[in-house]
Amino acid sequence: MSQDIVLLILGMAGVTFVSRFLPMVLLSRWTLPEKVRWGLEYIPVAVLSAIVFPILFFDRKGALTLQPQFLFAALPVFIFAWKVKSIWGSVVLGMIVYWLLGFV
Amino acid sequence: MGSHPWREGAKAAAPIVLGYLPVGVAFGVLARRAGMAPSEVGLMSLLVYAGSSQFVAVELISEGIAWFPIVITTFFVNLRHLLMSSTVSLFLKKESLRTLTLVSAQLTDESFAVAMSQPSKIQDRPGYVFGLQIISHCAWIGGSVAGALFGSLIDHEGYGLPFALPGLFICLLVLQIKSLDHFWMMIVAGILSLVFKWLVPGNWYIIMAALLTSGIGVAIKTRRAGDQPSKAKS
Repeated sequence: MSQDIVLLILGMAGVTFVSRFLPMVLLSRWTLPEKVRWGLEYIPVAVLSAIVFPILFFDRKGALTLQPQFLFAALPVFIFAWKVKSIWGSVVLGMIVYWLLGFV
Repeated sequence: MGSHPWREGAKAAAPIVLGYLPVGVAFGVLARRAGMAPSEVGLMSLLVYAGSSQFVAVELISEGIAWFPIVITTFFVNLRHLLMSSTVSLFLKKESLRTLTLVSAQLTDESFAVAMSQPSKIQDRPGYVFGLQIISHCAWIGGSVAGALFGSLIDHEGYGLPFALPGLFICLLVLQIKSLDHFWMMIVAGILSLVFKWLVPGNWYIIMAALLTSGIGVAIKTRRAGDQPSKAKS
């Protein structure tokens, strides 16, 4: 292994660990004000939405365009996930629809 | 009732495994192409274990950028863990430092989202979180090493594989919509993320959209809470 790569990996591991570890240790020991707790309640839906929407509307090079294959695969997954609430089923359904759309 | 939180968590990792294997393979292939050895790919997936920043790192390595700027970039790409870690901490109030270290070290977007899809399962059950995360982590390491070793033999663009992680995220997003408020927060965060991604270079858009959305949510809830008593009077 080259020394630069090892330094890179250790550095990346260190900074990533800090952002994962600090809030968990500090906040699990303190009681948070009510408004902060309200805010944290919206974080999961906000983070996930901020991950999903750009996947559907940006291409891989980072340009803002419609992604038809992703959008048309996303729609049935939305509905299926809403009705059936199965994570595994949603992933498989999405993959099948995306795969079939590749032939269109 | 799950008597074995550890095993229950491991089972909940199944959809993550399905998503991580192909993406891990893709990572292994790209890392190899950028000049990393399979052992280095494995070490990175073991110690860093943060997909998007690993892809970014490989991209920067292939552009010949030195290790220090890549570490700084990683820090910013992974800052969003602050928010997820803060949220999970609410459910693990009574745990020892050792337990929290183990649980926080393997926190990812995916394990966070699966954990938060049934918050009652993680309430004071670090074993569940640990089972969920260790299986996911193994899939990530396994996939990326396999990709580095045999990547050229697998068509990782085929069989709908590019949609494995998007499909997982969409389902997890839907599971988070527990009220009309959450639905509107999804719309707001989605639009903000598009705007920020378009305006701001790098990976800032997730943390910016999430913070602003949750701030808007708190402001609305505060106003509503303030309105309630006055309505009662009139």
